[in-house]
Amino acid sequence: MARIDGDARQKIDAYLSRLRTRLRGINEQDVREIVEELRSHILDKASVGGEEVTAGAAGATLEALGSPEELASEYMTDNLLARAEVSRSPVRILESLFRWASLSIAGFFAFLATILGYLLGMSFMLCAVLKPVHPQTAGLWILPAGADDFMISLRLGFGSAPPGGRDVLGWWTVPIGLVVGCGLVMLTTRFGLWCVRQYRRSRLLPPGQAV
Amino acid sequence: MKKADPKDQEAGDKWEVQLRKGCLELAILAALWSQKLYGLEILRRLESDSDLIVSEGTVYPLLSRLKALGLVRSEWVESDAGHPRKYYALTPAGKHRALDMSKTWASFSSSVSKLLAPLGKGK
Repeated sequence: MARIDGDARQKIDAYLSRLRTRLRGINEQDVREIVEELRSHILDKASVGGEEVTAGAAGATLEALGSPEELASEYMTDNLLARAEVSRSPVRILESLFRWASLSIAGFFAFLATILGYLLGMSFMLCAVLKPVHPQTAGLWILPAGADDFMISLRLGFGSAPPGGRDVLGWWTVPIGLVVGCGLVMLTTRFGLWCVRQYRRSRLLPPGQAV
Repeated sequence: MKKADPKDQEAGDKWEVQLRKGCLELAILAALWSQKLYGLEILRRLESDSDLIVSEGTVYPLLSRLKALGLVRSEWVESDAGHPRKYYALTPAGKHRALDMSKTWASFSSSVSKLLAPLGKGK
């Protein structure tokens, strides 16, 4: 077994503990695996020919790995992106896009569009579900707004019917709301995943060049 | 003769980094094609057979992503060095992906080579 001198051990432990504190959001089991895998890499690389691991060799190995902050950021993003692509869950997609939003203006708009798409889709579905509960007030309403103007409002039916308004779809609110709502959620998921892939592609650019 | 503009030089370097990073996934899958390897072995393989490695730090997060995508699986194996090593192997989905990527690569590189043929003649 390769021996490790005290200074080298201290350097390696400090590096790995800095990395560990920055791997937030990744589950404990995965964090342990990441840390153990890197420890194994560092020891293998720094003890060529089974010699004692010196502080100098450990330092050079850690330098080649890059800073713990950069490494953690790569793990965090790769982990989020992979989970979003595999699960196709709105929560995971929004989680990835939120990370992108914190890094670039394109990411901000992708996140905003995705969250709006999901909200609108869910509103349609909620409206369809609540129509039987509030038959007189829920639905897609046309409301007067000024002299020759009107506005369209998707109402969940809480409160009283608006004066002068007209429920456009009646009981058709239920099937149409469900179909349009599901359609919007599905389209938003496809759009969100497309954005996640664009984000991954933008990460292929060197740091500082990410779109 | 006009000297290369430093800005052009920088853009060229970035293009190269991008190109390498883009090929890294295929290179890792190819390295694992016939055998299971641990991280440092993959790195050494890529360093000796290619100049794809930009930074060692990029390989481990990429391996973790390939695992999350179900393209590779991993197992810990005890070693003589006194610490366990994490070995990676291709899953059937990973083999499929490697074949798909290598086909794309072959047709892409042959079409680019055709386009580049006039540059060789002009030397």
